[in-house]
Amino acid sequence: MTMKNVAGEELSEARGKLVECYRTLAHVLMGHRDELAPFEERNALKALAALWQVMNGLDMDPGQVYDLGA
Amino acid sequence: MDDSPYWNPRHETMPRADLDALQVRKLRNLVEWADMQVPWQAKRLRDAGVTADTIATIDDLQRIPPMTREDWMEGQLEDPPFGTNVAAGKDLAIRYHLTSGTTGRTPIRVLDSMKDWEWIAEMWCYGLWGFGVRPSDTVFVAFGYSTFIGFWGLHYACEKLGCLTLPGGAMTTEQRVRQIVEMGATVVCSTPTYALRMAQEARQLGIDLASSPVERLILSGEPAGSIPATKKLIQEEWGAKAGDTAGMTELGTIMIFECASQPGGTHIIEDHYIEEVLDPITDRPVGYGEMGERVVTSFGRGFIPVLRYRTRDLVVKVPAATCGCGRTFDLYDGGIRGRVDDMKLVRGTNVYPRAVEALVREFKEIDEFQIHLYTAEGRRDEIEVLVEIPDPDADGDRILSDLARELAGAHEALRFDVRRVEAGALPRFELKAKRVLDERTVIGSDGERRVQA
Repeated sequence: MTMKNVAGEELSEARGKLVECYRTLAHVLMGHRDELAPFEERNALKALAALWQVMNGLDMDPGQVYDLGA
Repeated sequence: MDDSPYWNPRHETMPRADLDALQVRKLRNLVEWADMQVPWQAKRLRDAGVTADTIATIDDLQRIPPMTREDWMEGQLEDPPFGTNVAAGKDLAIRYHLTSGTTGRTPIRVLDSMKDWEWIAEMWCYGLWGFGVRPSDTVFVAFGYSTFIGFWGLHYACEKLGCLTLPGGAMTTEQRVRQIVEMGATVVCSTPTYALRMAQEARQLGIDLASSPVERLILSGEPAGSIPATKKLIQEEWGAKAGDTAGMTELGTIMIFECASQPGGTHIIEDHYIEEVLDPITDRPVGYGEMGERVVTSFGRGFIPVLRYRTRDLVVKVPAATCGCGRTFDLYDGGIRGRVDDMKLVRGTNVYPRAVEALVREFKEIDEFQIHLYTAEGRRDEIEVLVEIPDPDADGDRILSDLARELAGAHEALRFDVRRVEAGALPRFELKAKRVLDERTVIGSDGERRVQA
């Protein structure tokens, strides 16, 4: 099933995968942080901060992520 | 994607109606965030009857009370050191920066999280990419890398783009010029004043910058990047295209940039900001083509929500179609035209430093200048322009008289004394130039008269 942004526009498959990537990262940081080594946690946060820009640019309205530490 | 002229093609070419809808959506999110996280903002919003769910159109923005620098400073005094407009804890910040302090006032202090810092670089990416900077470029950043935010965001944007990024901090001007040439930099970033200073140094070193690989200059920090005569001079000295940008510490990054079409103005990054232009006296919105004060709302930095911040910058907004680049982002014709408080009233005539610079830069022989205001005989305002003309063969007398005539002609026949001073006598600047020296003891018209301490 194709993914849509908040404006109702369909995302291409490649863009949809970037969105999934971001959501996976956010999910890991939200629920599995204690399992991560420092290098895993901090690099995941940095990746999340970068992918947040993609989410924002795709009009996925990612909200704020301060509660995740980014 | 290197062949795309746009950093975010969909947003930068979005039809106006869609862009308006995007802004309304983001405004609603911002109001909700500020209301929830910042008691100081919540009070202002609630007092004005504004909640996220009452925002339906872009016109609802007008219901939000504007915020001033004074409000910001009061907040810092009330809750030092970062103030009352902070939406997250300091433990989440990874950067701390300050305003440059060129006005002599207490600086504004800001914090950024990891995500905000990425966003700050993202805004610079719009400008760099839009002006033609690509991953293959070698970028020299002529900047002091201090707590002043300056080109920090640009540096990280260059890394994001994949450019070879040369940090030019803690160097003399000679070292910078030599490194630009030795490393084959293709892009140089500095203030307009410092671009001219480096060109001057290169001439003294016998280096011809126009034949160097430098193809583009990214200018920021002063309005001069959009003054045609100054820009022309910079482009001639460097043999490169110069693109203007402007930002502010309060936002953390740039909000406008000049695209590769060089339309004589700067595009507003409208998918991340709402830029209003208001009459500074009546606070009413002014139309396209009319000068007014910039009031900015930023959707970027969540740490410090910026809702209708009065910038004191003077601008003239023109429609996107003014530029042929295909962007639907409106522009500020001539970039930032000056500051509301820049204007000097001299014997009843308004004098804007930018307008003086535009005339001075028509004379290539003039290396540096200063506008000096003083009180004569304890009661009369006088204005003089001090100029350096280093070439001993230049016809100094002709330059002085021509410049004086042109200045008077542009200022209702106001008399300017134009004087030549020794080469090297005037101050040089790496960051924001301060070329106005106001030593008047009695200033302005009757209504404004005050005696300096």
